[in-house]
Amino acid sequence: MARPLLLLTAGLAMTLSAACQKDDAAPSGTAVGGNAAVWAEHPWDDIVAAAQGTEVRWRMWRGDPSINAFIEGWVAPRLLETYGIILRTVDAQGPEIVNQLVVEREARARGFADLVWINGETFHQLMEEGLLQGPWAHRIPHAALLDSTSTTLLEDFERPIEGWESPWGRVQFAMIYDTLRTPSPPRTVAELGAWIQANPGRFTHDQAFSGVTFLKGLMYALAGGHEPFQGGFSEEAYAAGTEPVWQWLEVHTPLFWRRGTVYPASVAELHRLFANQEVDFSFSNNENEVTTKVRQGILPPSARATVLRDATIANAHYVGIPFNAQNPAGAMVVANFLLSPEAQLEKQRPEVWGDGTVLGIDRLAPRWRDAFIELEEDPSARAIPRDTLDLYGRPEIAPEYHIRILEDWRRRVRGGRGG
Amino acid sequence: MGRLLPLLLAAPVAAGLVYAGLASLGLAGTGGRGWTLVHWARTLGDPGVWRGFGWTLWIAGASTALATGIAVLLAVAFRGGSRRDHLARLLTLAPLPIPHLVAGVSGVLILGQSGVLARLGYALGWVASPADMPPLVADPWGIGLILSLIWKEVPFLALVAFSVLASRGAQLEEAARTLGARPFATFRWITWPVLWRGILPAVVAVFAFVAGSWELPSLLAPSDPLALSLQILERQTDPSLARRGEAFVLTLLSLGLALFAVLLHETLRARWAVLER
Repeated sequence: MARPLLLLTAGLAMTLSAACQKDDAAPSGTAVGGNAAVWAEHPWDDIVAAAQGTEVRWRMWRGDPSINAFIEGWVAPRLLETYGIILRTVDAQGPEIVNQLVVEREARARGFADLVWINGETFHQLMEEGLLQGPWAHRIPHAALLDSTSTTLLEDFERPIEGWESPWGRVQFAMIYDTLRTPSPPRTVAELGAWIQANPGRFTHDQAFSGVTFLKGLMYALAGGHEPFQGGFSEEAYAAGTEPVWQWLEVHTPLFWRRGTVYPASVAELHRLFANQEVDFSFSNNENEVTTKVRQGILPPSARATVLRDATIANAHYVGIPFNAQNPAGAMVVANFLLSPEAQLEKQRPEVWGDGTVLGIDRLAPRWRDAFIELEEDPSARAIPRDTLDLYGRPEIAPEYHIRILEDWRRRVRGGRGG
Repeated sequence: MGRLLPLLLAAPVAAGLVYAGLASLGLAGTGGRGWTLVHWARTLGDPGVWRGFGWTLWIAGASTALATGIAVLLAVAFRGGSRRDHLARLLTLAPLPIPHLVAGVSGVLILGQSGVLARLGYALGWVASPADMPPLVADPWGIGLILSLIWKEVPFLALVAFSVLASRGAQLEEAARTLGARPFATFRWITWPVLWRGILPAVVAVFAFVAGSWELPSLLAPSDPLALSLQILERQTDPSLARRGEAFVLTLLSLGLALFAVLLHETLRARWAVLER
């Protein structure tokens, strides 16, 4: 997270430095240049050759030590060894990535990032603002291994990805509980409501992405599933769908932690409240996060994950190439490596990250297929059984739902008590 | 070169003002779609903004006033040359190098409902369970935030106060005493006026800093009312690009608040200059 003033100053510094820079400055030593869509028409070997010895700068969320360790300790050395690519990661999340690219475009500055880790509303915004280059993702060799039956992968918050971003992980929304404190946790929204009535002050959700995903799940559960909201944003569907949500919240928020007058800013803060026993549940957008967080000592060893059966949303995350990337060829090689069976398998190991694969297992060579099946069937490797996840997982809907429900929640629920 | 330096320092601020102005009118920045007053209208018409504005004023005012009072007390009590005074001054300044973010995290760990204080209260039998401790983090009056801010700002203000007393006033006090002034009269008519005029610029700086600071509120402030700096960040990172412009309106509002404090100080100072003639 950056301070607003810092962002502003950074923006200014960029504007000034761009003003001092000639527009036709020669490309820097590491840059390969070109456009990903053009590169996508070239034979793969040419792309790999062009990427040889270059640096790829990846703007990604760096808030989880397990993920950082996987990228820096496992992916980066292999990229260097196999392709001579130096991978450099820089911290930034969705909205910061969008802001950064807009500032770079305004300043006509050279692009800093070659690859960005995005999904959902960030992908939507980058597409609307014309800040990505493509299409390219369908042309990288390992794209042929993707699970092409999954709309979760091929549509990002209902927007077809059509080669503008490359999927690399798949997760499902889960609720975290403590087996010692709550041996039989609620399994549905109705049960959760009853639990909150019986245990006042022990439940809350955060105000960021996970919190909004919980609210969307509530909407699915209370307004007839995800189907009424599919096929783009509809004002009528939104109004009809959120009415029972506001009613549910009106009844239950007085029984939330601190009577619903305060909400944790992020899911990290919610984890802290849960670990300190101030509340009895936390949430996660990755059903396996509980395993890595227990190993890191952030959550207690007795913490487990479950799904609210009528309110669990499955989604995927992706990498994209910014419009002004200096090294699209290198970025494509990295994206392709992230989709390799070895990288996907390593990433899914619970002791590494526990992030679900996006590959169609039936499309893999037998030895990889067996390895994935072994991992899927190992009960200690999965926080929640695969078939349970698949049975209850529901798709994402258009990003406008996400935006509106957050805006209205802030106005009606968070700030709606007349202060 | 020496004459250029002030310009160089002011240039980013001026450029920032221009950019923020343009972005608040939809003419620059993310989500800018051309000339519009909608960002101003939405921001100024949002009651949550004004509650946050008032709350920020309360936090900045209360913490600056209390920190100033404590700093003055410390400076007067420990101004001497004795070993005890030296040690006291050193201890007062100890929190100075601690980053605000660290101070905020410490605030959470000490003052939170699962923190050291709550556990101590439980152990001593004041409360039936740690959670029964009155909340001091994210509490509606910002008590935990104000306490943490005071802890961070007292050393800075005390440092200024120590140096004001050391460099100014000693001769005047000496003269007053020679002329037969009692200790209280010396303090009332010499020490206090010298001290408070000397530290006032630092007090204004602390007020402006606290009003715009983000680190401590992000960890210790409630979600409603929402501190001004948190409202700026929320709009700057909102999933809707249409709200980026509002972040710049709030940035200008926040800058206006700091500017108001500086101008007030300048006006007062100009008046005293006339009175003293």
